[in-house]
Amino acid sequence: MSDARSTQTLPSASPVTSSARATRLRFAAFWGLPPLVWQLAFFVVPLGFLVAMTFWSVKSFRLTPDATLANWTFILNAGFFRNAYVYTFWLAGLTALLASLIAFPAAYTLAFRLQPATRRFLVFMLVVPFFTSYPVRIYSTQIFFSPQGIINAALHPLGLGPISVLNSPTGTVIGYLVLTLPLVVLLQTFALMNVPKTLIEAAHNLGCGRLRTILTVIVPSARIGLVVAATFAFVLAFGDYVAPLYLGGSKPPTLSILIADQVKSGNHWPRASVVAVIMILTLVAVMSTMLALAYGRRGAKP
Amino acid sequence: MTTTKAGPMLEIDRVAKRYGGTLAVAEVSFTIGKGEFIALMGPSGCGKTTTLRMIAGLDTPSEGEIRLWGRRINEDAPWERDAPLVWQNYALFPFLSVVKNVEFGLKQRRVPAAERRKKAMEWMERLGIAGFAERGVDQLSGGQRQRVALARALALEPEMLLLDEPLSALDPHLRVRMQSELVRLHRELGITFVCVTHSHSEAFAMADRVVIMSEGRVQQIGAPREIYRRASNRFVAEFVGGNNLFSGTASSAGNGALRVEGPFGAALAPRPSEPAIHDGAAVTLVVAADRIDIASARSGIGNEIDARVVTLEVVGSSATVFLETAGGVDLRVQRSLHEIENTPLNPGQAVIARWSQDEGYFLPA
Repeated sequence: MSDARSTQTLPSASPVTSSARATRLRFAAFWGLPPLVWQLAFFVVPLGFLVAMTFWSVKSFRLTPDATLANWTFILNAGFFRNAYVYTFWLAGLTALLASLIAFPAAYTLAFRLQPATRRFLVFMLVVPFFTSYPVRIYSTQIFFSPQGIINAALHPLGLGPISVLNSPTGTVIGYLVLTLPLVVLLQTFALMNVPKTLIEAAHNLGCGRLRTILTVIVPSARIGLVVAATFAFVLAFGDYVAPLYLGGSKPPTLSILIADQVKSGNHWPRASVVAVIMILTLVAVMSTMLALAYGRRGAKP
Repeated sequence: MTTTKAGPMLEIDRVAKRYGGTLAVAEVSFTIGKGEFIALMGPSGCGKTTTLRMIAGLDTPSEGEIRLWGRRINEDAPWERDAPLVWQNYALFPFLSVVKNVEFGLKQRRVPAAERRKKAMEWMERLGIAGFAERGVDQLSGGQRQRVALARALALEPEMLLLDEPLSALDPHLRVRMQSELVRLHRELGITFVCVTHSHSEAFAMADRVVIMSEGRVQQIGAPREIYRRASNRFVAEFVGGNNLFSGTASSAGNGALRVEGPFGAALAPRPSEPAIHDGAAVTLVVAADRIDIASARSGIGNEIDARVVTLEVVGSSATVFLETAGGVDLRVQRSLHEIENTPLNPGQAVIARWSQDEGYFLPA
């Protein structure tokens, strides 16, 4: 009986679905193509160009198309590059860790302890820093920490200080935190808000106090969001140029400082491109590792 | 076991709960004895779940007192109490394996690893889920999750188990099986079960005593049969189901009987000792649907009402016959299929609804 019906409806149904598919394709092309073209023109092509340029050479300060591995061997064997790589990786990792730890109490309060209206207001306040451009914020941070700045002025009457964090790794990390903290708090807040309330209550019901519940239930439940927040902090800090320049004093240099140096001294774009490509590959590796960590572990099989 | 503990185990004493401006529980008082199976039953929003949550310590009463063995526990944190809860949606930890879920409470109580694994496995064995120990909870069916949730709660060997709509997420077939399993567990363990449900069939099938709630208040407390046979008010009589409610005017009929006359017809019922009913008072007469017989002719014995068959509903081996009296009042009769198979019951057919005088009882109108 069902056979008869399906043979009856099938011929009349298939033209309808194929024309529906065509409509859907046209719709997708209309809305999907412009951003695709944009990405192709301003991301994929320059990226390809960047990779190609790593094989070019510079002859008497002039960029010349070439097919040499000289830039790669030079950079990979350069001691200053290896030092800068380890240093940048370490500072970005430290920033991700510090930002995650500092943000968590705030995110916890936002997600669990506040009324929805207060939470909305504070989430809005966390977006406000993004209204001003980031270099401006770093400038003001520089003024804050300068020898005659607010912080030292406040510490002086107490017989403390002066503290000098400018032109040091500490300064760079503070700059990185200025950049990443609001975002990490936001991402963590959203991650924690998605933790089912009943799981928290179930933990309480089974004998977990507040702190134990955070460690045994809330953090594991929000794992993906927390890892994503930390990864974001790492990615932003790893590639940042402004904080190490103005607060870190570019000594020792981070990779982004190194890129600028390569270009400025000797106009060596190909070497700068090598550093840039290595940075991109590093970020891809870090992100894949972190996401595997976040989603993986249990339930390898779907 | 603990003979030093006298009196009721748990006392809910004039407890109220407000959330902002809304009153979730208006005033609730009842006691629970050790080893009892209590069902809190009522429509959604009646305050039964809030009451359970206050027993678990997940909500704090706004007024009144909750006492455990005579000690006030209003302010005790949930993690200081010994009343594990089985959640409606199970609330299993998705990032832990089944056995880690079952061990969870024992771990918080600092039971050594080997001992808690052994205990967890025993409970999983008992509930028939030992084979899933290392699986993730998202790989289990609803019924299996339910058992994990039960094992997780019972592994603590509590003196009281709380259940929040434990069967509502299961399919009907599984529900009946789980129902009898809960009853069996309760009998074997001898601990107190407090179960929230909106289904009177669940409550009546499992509980020793049922607390019926509506709009934040207790409507009636009693054994299932007691409530079913004698509802204390109109809400209970209607909520419990299977009752016919006839409104009418009372008049004395002598011999300790009252006569009720109304749109449904007229019937006799025993005069209640409390409250006194005067002649001419408006009353409601309640007659259980399964106490009414259907006959094709009058016999002159008991109450007899002329009616017409509206429709017939057969579920399994029992049938519900919907009748309409001459005065347009609906009347339902529940019989086993076997009892009515020789009575023709076509829609529109004239029949006699008959019940013994003793079967009816009064509610204030």
